[in-house]
Amino acid sequence: MNTIILNGSPKGNSNKSNSQIFAKEFIKNMKNPCEIKCIAKYNPKELVSYIEGFDTIIIVLPLYIHAMPGIVMKFIEKLKPQTSEEKYIGFIVQAGFIETAQHKFLKRYFKDLAKQLNYNYLGTVSKGEAAGIYMYPKMFKKVLKSIADLGMAYEENHTFDKEIVQRLEKPYELSKFKLKMLRLVNKVGLNNIGWHTVLRKNNALDKRLDRPFL
Amino acid sequence: MKKVVIKECESIHFPNVFTLDLTQTDVKDCIGCWSCWWKTPGRCTYKDLNEFYHHYITADKAIFFSKVTKGFVSGNLKTLFDRMIPLYLPYTTYKTGESMHVPRYEKYPDIEFYYEGKFETPDRRKIFIDYINRVFYQFYSKNITIKPIEEFILDGGDNE
Repeated sequence: MNTIILNGSPKGNSNKSNSQIFAKEFIKNMKNPCEIKCIAKYNPKELVSYIEGFDTIIIVLPLYIHAMPGIVMKFIEKLKPQTSEEKYIGFIVQAGFIETAQHKFLKRYFKDLAKQLNYNYLGTVSKGEAAGIYMYPKMFKKVLKSIADLGMAYEENHTFDKEIVQRLEKPYELSKFKLKMLRLVNKVGLNNIGWHTVLRKNNALDKRLDRPFL
Repeated sequence: MKKVVIKECESIHFPNVFTLDLTQTDVKDCIGCWSCWWKTPGRCTYKDLNEFYHHYITADKAIFFSKVTKGFVSGNLKTLFDRMIPLYLPYTTYKTGESMHVPRYEKYPDIEFYYEGKFETPDRRKIFIDYINRVFYQFYSKNITIKPIEEFILDGGDNE
């Protein structure tokens, strides 16, 4: 099987792109690492004709407004229905919100899209609470290891390993206990410390609640 | 009642209403820089939507005319959704039992969303409708209606 990995992040191959980090981690321990290309760097039509030489596409992407970023949809618009029975497509979605239930709208669409385009569907892997990975990679060692394991198992079996997927996708929803904790953290204002540090650095703290378009 | 129109369908004309005409405009793609949250709160690094932002946030109703593309919204319209994030704050609230961004403005327009295009299966239509409902629910619009464009034409267009 020859597989191409497409990074759907608008940040492309920037070291601030969590999708790029995921893509690199996915191929890290493969015997024959797959090629990675960034959707942001190419004309969608040209990229679609380039990937025709591959049996399998895996798109790694951030969740934007409960779905794929606009640039990924522009690429999808150009995909043609396949005539061969041997074409496969899969997705790995990462997002800032903790619970992966946020991805369910996109997952239903991707599953249906595979059917529309006559691709065999490998599935969509979800990971929440991933926004900080590029800033604090050490804190996310376990997550990155799971992605590398997912890649190794993929090279071996040409599927997404169910057990690793289940581990990555937890929690699907916020438990009552977790909600209580998060609301408490919000109440005492601990949730905003990170945001405010960045805003202060940019001399923008006093403008944080601005409503410039009224 | 103040309205704003966002259209991908050429046959639709609303005289005297601010219209973002996506048949003529390619919205600049979000580049994920987070300037709108971290550097210039509420303002995107690109200026192409400034007029739209003003009309959208001060409207009582936003009317969308969308073309169904591979069972979803087009890439151009999806980019517009991505570029609406400056209208919200980076902070997360858990009030509804799930993660949601906090509103930046006091109110957001009601949504009338018309789609042009056929769905091959009822399930495909449901995926589309559920997605649009979700988008505007988390964008804090209180009343959301989603209908095929034929219903807009049958109703004689905009009658208010």
